[in-house]
Amino acid sequence: MDTKVARRYASALFATAQRNDVVKSVEDDLSAIAKLIENDQKFKDFILSPEVGREEKIKIAETLFSDRVTALTMQALRLILVKRREAEISNVRNEFVALRREHGSVAYIVVTSAEAMEDDQRNSLVAKLGGSLGKSVEAEFHIDPRLIGGVKVQIGDYVLDGTVRGSLRRLEEKLRRDVLMQN
Amino acid sequence: MSTPTKKSGLPYPVVLIIGVILMMGGYFISQKTHEFQEKLANQGIPLDFGLTIAVVGVLMILFPVLNSFYFKPLADAINERTHALESTFGEAETLRSEMTKMKSDYEQRLAATEAEARSQIQAQIREAQNLRQTLMAEASSKADEMVKRAQQEIEAEKQKVLGQLRREVVNLTITASERILGENMDSDKNRRLVTEFIDTVEVPR
Repeated sequence: MDTKVARRYASALFATAQRNDVVKSVEDDLSAIAKLIENDQKFKDFILSPEVGREEKIKIAETLFSDRVTALTMQALRLILVKRREAEISNVRNEFVALRREHGSVAYIVVTSAEAMEDDQRNSLVAKLGGSLGKSVEAEFHIDPRLIGGVKVQIGDYVLDGTVRGSLRRLEEKLRRDVLMQN
Repeated sequence: MSTPTKKSGLPYPVVLIIGVILMMGGYFISQKTHEFQEKLANQGIPLDFGLTIAVVGVLMILFPVLNSFYFKPLADAINERTHALESTFGEAETLRSEMTKMKSDYEQRLAATEAEARSQIQAQIREAQNLRQTLMAEASSKADEMVKRAQQEIEAEKQKVLGQLRREVVNLTITASERILGENMDSDKNRRLVTEFIDTVEVPR
């Protein structure tokens, strides 16, 4: 994936959306299109196929999305298809979201827990992290039973690990280090 | 053979004349003193002076002949024999001297050879001892090195096995802990853990 190309498209699109105050709409449009590509294998095969001509792709895209997305999103999608950068649609969406968060002072966190967290816990966690970071927080919640218990928060490249598995992993690392020291 | 005159000091013709005179005179005396001789014979002394003188004369006549044909060759033979014996004794003495010298030389050479052989043997023994010491030192050094290496390998292997054992113990401990914690974990405990995390979490700035 060429993130530089996606970043360039996303930057241009974000600047235009910001000027027209349709950032949220464009992001929703891009998310919907990316989700469709991700979930619908037939559409994915069609849109990513090198054997299908760009005119046909544009025609189908307009048929599918012209009355469902903003004009700016449609224009951007058309440009992407003309330039044969359809493989970058998901990356453009991700870069667009990243730009929106950067400009909106939004922290994106991924919260993974062994069991589904209750709403009050989610709210408490988001509020506490938002207060600590000094930003509004967008959280994505996942469930991973392999964590045994507890919760893990990823903020960019930083991970706050409060899981049982994480504690065990740290204990294991400490024990291994002690074993190496004994050797 | 030498002439009789040279031996007696007088020329043989003189001696011959004296001999003839004595022989003739003795015979004459013997014929003229016949009675006196009988008186002496009667007294128990059968002595004929004339005959004795004649015999002396005959001996003087015959002595050079005897000397030439008997005494001289005999003396020569004796002398020759004496010389031969002396020569033989001299040669024997020379041989004995040579033998003594040869024996001395031989003994000296033998002693020198023995000394040299002894020296060489001693040198060989010393060299062998040095070689033995060197070989023993090398063997000892190699043995020490092998023992040291073996000990190091044993120690390394021991540490390796101990390390593997400890790592295995760690793995088993972690696995068992995971299983026990998983089996004992429930929603309430999980909720407490999450709450505790929320209460204590701090974001590094």
